[in-house]
Amino acid sequence: MTFVNWLKRNLVVIAGLATLGYLLLPNVIVTVFSFNKPKGRFNYEWQQFSTDAWQHPCGVAGMCGSLSLSLQIAVWATIGATVLGTMIAFALVRYRFRARGAINSLIFLPMAMPEVVMAASLLTLFLNLGAQLGFYTILIAHIMFCLSFVVTAVKARVMSMDPRLEQAAQDLYAGPVQTFLRVTLPIAAPGIAAGALLAFALSFDDFIITNFNAGSTVTFPMFVWGSAQRGTPVQINVIGTAMFLVAVLFVLASMVIGNRKGRQKA
Amino acid sequence: MTTDNSGDVRLSGISKTYGAFTAVHPLDLTVPQGSFFALLGASGCGKTTTLRMIAGLEEPSSGSVHLGDQEVTHLPPYKRPVNTVFQSYALFPHLDIFENVAFGLRRRGIKSVKKQVEDMLELVQLGEQARKKPHQLSGGQQQRVAVARALINHPKVLLLDEPLGALDLKLRRQMQLELKRIQTEVGITFVHVTHDQEEAMTMADTVAVMNAGRVEQLGAPSDLYENPQTTFVANFLGTSNLIEAEIDTRSGEDIVLKAGGGKLVLPRTRCSAPGTTGGKVLVGVRPEKITLTHADDAGEIAEGRNRITGKIADSSFIGVSTQYVIDSPVCPEFEVYAQNIDRDARLVPGADVVLHWNPAHTFGLDPAQDIDAGVDAGEEAA
Amino acid sequence: MAAVTEAPPLAPAPEKKPPRKRGRFTPYWLLLPGILWLLIFFAAPMIYQASTSVQTGSLEEGYKVTWHFATYWDALSSYWPQFLRSVFYAASATVLCLLLGYPLAYLIAFRAGRWRNLIMILVIAPFFTSFLIRTLAWKTILADNGPVVHTLNSLHILSLTDWLGWTAGDRVLATPLAVVCGLTYNFLPFMILPLYTSLERIDGRLHEAAGDLYAKPFTTFRKVTFPLSMPGVVSGTLLTFIPAAGDYVNAELLGSTDTRMVGNVIQAQFLRVLDYPTAAALSFILMAAILLMVTFYIRRSGTEDLV
Repeated sequence: MTFVNWLKRNLVVIAGLATLGYLLLPNVIVTVFSFNKPKGRFNYEWQQFSTDAWQHPCGVAGMCGSLSLSLQIAVWATIGATVLGTMIAFALVRYRFRARGAINSLIFLPMAMPEVVMAASLLTLFLNLGAQLGFYTILIAHIMFCLSFVVTAVKARVMSMDPRLEQAAQDLYAGPVQTFLRVTLPIAAPGIAAGALLAFALSFDDFIITNFNAGSTVTFPMFVWGSAQRGTPVQINVIGTAMFLVAVLFVLASMVIGNRKGRQKA
Repeated sequence: MTTDNSGDVRLSGISKTYGAFTAVHPLDLTVPQGSFFALLGASGCGKTTTLRMIAGLEEPSSGSVHLGDQEVTHLPPYKRPVNTVFQSYALFPHLDIFENVAFGLRRRGIKSVKKQVEDMLELVQLGEQARKKPHQLSGGQQQRVAVARALINHPKVLLLDEPLGALDLKLRRQMQLELKRIQTEVGITFVHVTHDQEEAMTMADTVAVMNAGRVEQLGAPSDLYENPQTTFVANFLGTSNLIEAEIDTRSGEDIVLKAGGGKLVLPRTRCSAPGTTGGKVLVGVRPEKITLTHADDAGEIAEGRNRITGKIADSSFIGVSTQYVIDSPVCPEFEVYAQNIDRDARLVPGADVVLHWNPAHTFGLDPAQDIDAGVDAGEEAA
Repeated sequence: MAAVTEAPPLAPAPEKKPPRKRGRFTPYWLLLPGILWLLIFFAAPMIYQASTSVQTGSLEEGYKVTWHFATYWDALSSYWPQFLRSVFYAASATVLCLLLGYPLAYLIAFRAGRWRNLIMILVIAPFFTSFLIRTLAWKTILADNGPVVHTLNSLHILSLTDWLGWTAGDRVLATPLAVVCGLTYNFLPFMILPLYTSLERIDGRLHEAAGDLYAKPFTTFRKVTFPLSMPGVVSGTLLTFIPAAGDYVNAELLGSTDTRMVGNVIQAQFLRVLDYPTAAALSFILMAAILLMVTFYIRRSGTEDLV
């Protein structure tokens, strides 16, 4: 009976952990198979242990080039979307003006729109304008769909910020520029950082919109997509595993720093 | 007081409207240099808006603000020699205590701030906490940081917006004395906004009671309490028993009034109502001024005291005193606070009693006002 | 102790007003670049696409607006199975995400204790590995001779799903089940995060209060926790359903020609067949359908504060 009771009490924990397992299983597979030595062109079946791929991560033609292209696009898209998005977020929280409702919808819609619809319509525009598809069309598209997410993240932070803090700064002889640089920006920073991080992740990993608007340019997700047709090199798993580890380390590090600084209420 | 008037705050006809809503009606007010001035009132009475207009955080719809001889009406807050202790303090969460206190000095381009900041932290007894972040401090400590952060700039005027509102009762008492001490020490003009009448009376030399965007009465705390001029002040500051009475005759310095069957005497100087014979007046007396005598001993009451008869409806013992509610023909709920010195065992609910007090404690108000004005406001703010 | 903080005054809160006259144009300058970006690269393309959908012509001779609405009819009559499939797959994936995601969100919000941050990291971290790589891993997991298929087979579950039409024979890969499984996996974090956010806001004392008022744990959940988490449920289902309905990656990588969704059709029409009017019409129908469903759903669930 006690076991049944224990099970009853911890049912939600067991179910939750099972879901977590479901979420993490592919990452485990990706990691394990980064040490595989497949026989054919595809890396879907376990053959034998090997560290070949880890020793030659760029041993596949075009892969590391696409990776660095994706990183460049992600960095620029992050910068663009973060700057534009932060400006919009501040305007929305701090000012009353006409057309607020329309602007809010314009920001909400890209998040509520299936990617394939945005991708197709943007391609229609580029084709109509006769634009050369490539790096810049990808960048434009990425800034466009990351923008809304940055606005949402920054807005949440700025909204929770006590307006008296800025008034206090003004009261203590800080002019508008000083107030913004010394008080507003540092306090809004976690929200801006969260938005930027999200933008980076979204841009780096985007496939659908990129696939439509890339022309003959190949980003990393497009390389993976292509290899799913032609043959999946083990190096893909090496990159996937490394990205996962970097992400976990990055988050852990930021948490340690965050804990040391102490949680800031604002 | 010194002849220096640079710390005077002079408001001439300032008002503030938001659309159709008038937060502050045109207001004239002078706060003399070096005084501790309190703006007292319930939520939404316009006291905070008034303070924010002095700080420059709100631009008046009309009128002007002067600090000493300088007009500052249209100066932004960062150009005014005025500092504010904000409600819930508004300490910068990303800066430590030292940097919070140094903020104003640094913005004015002062390079060597260390000595000043340390001295200031010493003054508010926070020398040890300089490198902590605001959220690591207790409420009382945060409050002191907010005061230090403002005072270090040697403002002409220090504005305090409900500075003790977030503290618990005991700490609030302690900080009241502390603030009073600091004010005496630095001699800066303090303008203090509060909804707590006790706080205003304990700390300020002058209190302005505000209601619905207007100043109802201005004066020293004891003046306001002993001689209220409106029913709002009478009810908002402490408790008052108000009786409707008719003016009977005038004899010398006194006005004789008829209430119920009896007569009451009111000193002419303590009547703010337009006192024409035959007219009406609201007679007030504070509950603690009244003596309660059992009806059987009515003969022992000295001559010349105002008397009312009644029956004890309720009594509650609260330690130092006992509070009685008396049912009387002139007033259904007459409140009496009796010190527990020698308790009369006969004074229990149902007993017939005589209430009597020195006529000098009676005050008279204009009967055209709402007799209950400020009752709820007082309870809400208490 | 009575009210310690003063309630906001009746007047509009001072900080919500534009601070000073000199700032009157500031919001517009702040908004201008970002809003222009969205207008040019998001709103204008939608209009271009709408106009493309009623054009006729060919790649060689160019296209003209001829208000040829028949394109819509042709597109719907040829591709209605893909549309239905998209809705069905996305709805199944959404329900599965809710069933799988809720316990995990609940676990993180109420039961994880000091493990909370670690579990959060483990939920978010996979985001940083390319989703295509992770989706390809399902090919390994669901492989024909792998342990998953073997187990399902020996438990006779596969014959049941075969009978239901979810799988075919001894295979899971290249069947609807594999596609739904992939969709569920890919969009699960979009369900968990909003659920967690709204669960985390619930005051733990409410559970105690419900228990105190004679509610059994499950009743507490049904009457208190779940209703209070509704905002999370609504935004979670939308964030899952919308991208799932437009997805073509899972159907392509884990499915077969029998599992093609409307996304696959749009992609093929645009990038391979180069029949732009049909592709634009399909995309427009998908957008309209999703917006309609979303609006209806939000109305029904009475939660309009999504973002």
